[in-house]
Amino acid sequence: MQSAPRTGLLRRIRHHGAELLITAPSMAWMTVFFVVPTVLVLLLAFRPTALDGGVGRGWTLQTWRTISNPNYPSIVWRTIWLSFAATALSIGIGLPCAFAMARIKAQWRSTLVGLVILPFWTSFLIRVFAWRLLLHPEGTISVFLHRTWSVFGWQFRFLAPETTLLYNSFAVLLVMVYTYLPFAILPLYAAAEKFDFSLLEAAFDLGARPWRVFWRIFVPGVRAGVVSAVMMVLIPALGSYVVPDLVGGPNSEMVGNKIYQRALPDRNLPHASALSALLMLGVLLPPGLAWLATRKRHLGATDTDVVAAMNSPSALGNSGGRRRNGVRA
Amino acid sequence: MKRLQRRSLATFWSVLFFFYVPILVLVVNSFNASKFGGAWKGFTFKWYEKLFQDRAIWQAMENTFAVAVGATLASVVLGTLAALAISRWKGRLQSAHYGLLYTHLVLPDILMGISLLLFFISVGMELSLFTVFLAHTTFCVSYVAMAVLGRLENFDGSLLEAASDLGATPWQTFWKVQFPLLLPGIVAGGLLAFTLSIDDFVITFFVNGAGSETLPVKIYGMIKRSRDLPKINALSTLMMCVTVLAVVASRMMQGRGMRPQKDASAARRPSSPAERREGQGGRVRGAAHHA
Amino acid sequence: MTKRFGPLTAVNSVTFGVQRGEFFSLLGPSGCGKTTLLRMLAGFEQPDEGRILLDGRDITRLPPDKRQVNTVFQNYALFPHLSIRDNIAFGLRLRRLPRAEIEERVDEMLGLVQLRDHASKKPTQLSGGQKQRVAIARALVLKPQVLLLDEPLAALDLKLRQHMQIELDEIHDRVGITFLYVTHDQGEAMGLADRIAVMRNGVVEQIDPPARIYESPRTSFVAAFIGDTNFFEGVVTRIVDHDYCDVEVEDLGTVRCWNDKHIRAGAKVYLSVRPEKLHLTHERPADLHDGKVNVFPVTVYQKVYQGAWTRFWVRHGENVDDCWELSVLQVHSRYLLDTTPISWDDRVWLSWHADDGYMLENYDERDETLLNHPTEPVVPAPDAPYPADAAAEPAAAAPQEPSADAERS
Repeated sequence: MQSAPRTGLLRRIRHHGAELLITAPSMAWMTVFFVVPTVLVLLLAFRPTALDGGVGRGWTLQTWRTISNPNYPSIVWRTIWLSFAATALSIGIGLPCAFAMARIKAQWRSTLVGLVILPFWTSFLIRVFAWRLLLHPEGTISVFLHRTWSVFGWQFRFLAPETTLLYNSFAVLLVMVYTYLPFAILPLYAAAEKFDFSLLEAAFDLGARPWRVFWRIFVPGVRAGVVSAVMMVLIPALGSYVVPDLVGGPNSEMVGNKIYQRALPDRNLPHASALSALLMLGVLLPPGLAWLATRKRHLGATDTDVVAAMNSPSALGNSGGRRRNGVRA
Repeated sequence: MKRLQRRSLATFWSVLFFFYVPILVLVVNSFNASKFGGAWKGFTFKWYEKLFQDRAIWQAMENTFAVAVGATLASVVLGTLAALAISRWKGRLQSAHYGLLYTHLVLPDILMGISLLLFFISVGMELSLFTVFLAHTTFCVSYVAMAVLGRLENFDGSLLEAASDLGATPWQTFWKVQFPLLLPGIVAGGLLAFTLSIDDFVITFFVNGAGSETLPVKIYGMIKRSRDLPKINALSTLMMCVTVLAVVASRMMQGRGMRPQKDASAARRPSSPAERREGQGGRVRGAAHHA
Repeated sequence: MTKRFGPLTAVNSVTFGVQRGEFFSLLGPSGCGKTTLLRMLAGFEQPDEGRILLDGRDITRLPPDKRQVNTVFQNYALFPHLSIRDNIAFGLRLRRLPRAEIEERVDEMLGLVQLRDHASKKPTQLSGGQKQRVAIARALVLKPQVLLLDEPLAALDLKLRQHMQIELDEIHDRVGITFLYVTHDQGEAMGLADRIAVMRNGVVEQIDPPARIYESPRTSFVAAFIGDTNFFEGVVTRIVDHDYCDVEVEDLGTVRCWNDKHIRAGAKVYLSVRPEKLHLTHERPADLHDGKVNVFPVTVYQKVYQGAWTRFWVRHGENVDDCWELSVLQVHSRYLLDTTPISWDDRVWLSWHADDGYMLENYDERDETLLNHPTEPVVPAPDAPYPADAAAEPAAAAPQEPSADAERS
């Protein structure tokens, strides 16, 4: 009783003092270099453009009006369909891969995960560049097609060497799938590994056809993996800049390219801001809504667990049962 | 069942083929005398020779390493502190703290690039290697914090109680027990930060200034101007060799080093841009999980 | 040495003293507050009220690192990055003792727990029992005034647990340090402790040596939690003499009972009779103790043979829905040699000596759920608070998990 004041105020101040001291550095850093710039982007979208390439005074909706000119919606629309198509393709291809990886003997699994990740130790830029080499008019695929064509003649008309492989939306989609596929395969595999495959046997036993079993039993079973794969591919895809820039043409620009173009060569900062704000909204809306719906702190084991697992194939291989430390009484 | 398995396995091998072919073509072409690499015109080392004569590339490499080392050191300190605070205290402050680090992981690079560019312009900062360092530190903090948090989540709190029970002051408890046990997570976070910093293109592209080109920015310029393309092949091949060697080396270190908890071996390897994205996905997945 | 606490829910106004060198055990089901109590002694939790005195000195507000009290953790909490030797030396090094002395004391401890050969190993290379011994050595090497042990054997398998019990006992004898041992295992507490404090819902129900706890339980909880028993409810009808009285038990009859609490006639009482004190015989036993043996005819309705003994459940009364069901333990000292085995549906005689029935000070119907019975006893709704708690502290009914407290702090 006599010690109550001591445990109360004084201790609490000391307690909070330590918390503030340890929280302050990263919190301050993130505030200055993340929160402030983000707010700045949102604010600048409502500023007029100055002629000298800077930002004018006062507030205006002019930028937003310009954005609704016909040119932009088509870019936004292309960004959306390319991203969704890349996501759908990645998951469509990723599902059978995850299935195959999870069915292989346990000791080989981490090797397979390693094989999936290995090419992606190479720089992102270089991987995109490699496709430029392949798809180039004088590149490997063209030359290969040329030879095939000269042997088989006109029967392969649609694969004629004159076909433009680079600088179109098809090339952008192809390279996007190439770069984002592993991010679909890994969460799908993590989910598939925990899937109880005896369910499939049960379904076959009850007379289901393979196709049906795959879509009706396996895919719903790895639902969580599908959801995370969607987020994993869709969000970076929406913000693509390098892929459309390097393998796309003028008719396959995405929002990312426009942001760059407005910000640097054009020096139209309010425009770039407005586009960024749009992209930010598109990217943060789905997870934001999910967060609002649950209002839960994401400090559960799931998050860091998955990050840890994603960082290493061996961890993924072991992800079947999560280890826990000794239970306290 | 067998049929399903055979078909899915066939898909998987095709996908691996799809993954490796572009890279193999790139490596092979770095030794190809032909400028465009469509056809084999003989074996040569001349692209490598040219590469080593290019002073601008060496300068870019120097810049890259300077930034990577600085950003790694800064982000390891900030990220570790952040992880400690988030795991130690619960409350609104730490929720916000975690939310900041988490959101930053989810956002596409281009948004970070543009917002930092606008920020630097607004506060009147000259774009330079220093702004690149600031930008890199910012995105690395999140990754380090998550790596250390992962380690902390498996941390047995009774070890800290045991230490203080045996007479350790809070300060001693941290340095003698908690820090040594967190070290693998911190090192993993640091390696992750280092590789991410070396590899980053989009953010650097927005915030670098005259003379502060990093290697990816330099390569991008070469690609864009369609100049010295075979040199890029050679450079890429070399970079891949270095990465693979680093991976093997860290694997070997890992084998020798102490590893008290198996589950913690998760984040012990230097990571690639691929893994970085995976990391993001992990967060997103968490969000989806709670949905 | 006196320790008093009283944080509101987990541990409710507990007061007890432990003698120097004593082996004292806190026994209770999980969630009874015993671990919280231990954590307050160690300094990981702060009591909201009350004081902890160690050797006459108030240590209530001292942080853990300033207390001459060391803990053996349930999950061992060995530092995984240090070798066994370094684990044991951890506390000594913090105290900046001379190197030679550290070596000497660590060696001595390694000898005590028989781990000399494993000194350079890492904790992950040891078995559960070895880890446990390291944890004990690490705490004992600091020569604490009190050693706190938090369910130290809970993580071990049965055989090892039995072996470690003996070893713990020997260590206690040799070092002469006060041991405060928290457990939910009555066998461990009975076998090891000089005295046991039985706890339930943050309240100490009884503090006594093991034999008294077993033979003279003060409450129905103690009687039912430690061992098995039978409860009778009745009214004292007649004081026979200074030591005995007659208790009228409804539907059973008059029971002669030892009256050490000198209950007056007319009072309602509850009796506890241990199953092994009951005897079953084919013949009605002769009264050799001038009326001090209670005898009733019963029918066997369940029988479980368990090797060293057989457990019977018998009924008194014709109506199956409304009769006395009693649990009886027959130890086989001479099985099959001189008796015809008692079997299902046998009508036999149940008897016990008046000295073997014990009057409880406190009875709670819900404690009947703790009894070993083939049929579920009828009890009130599970969320109704215990009458005893409701009187003492309304909040005590809230579930308390010690680890939850630990996280909050």
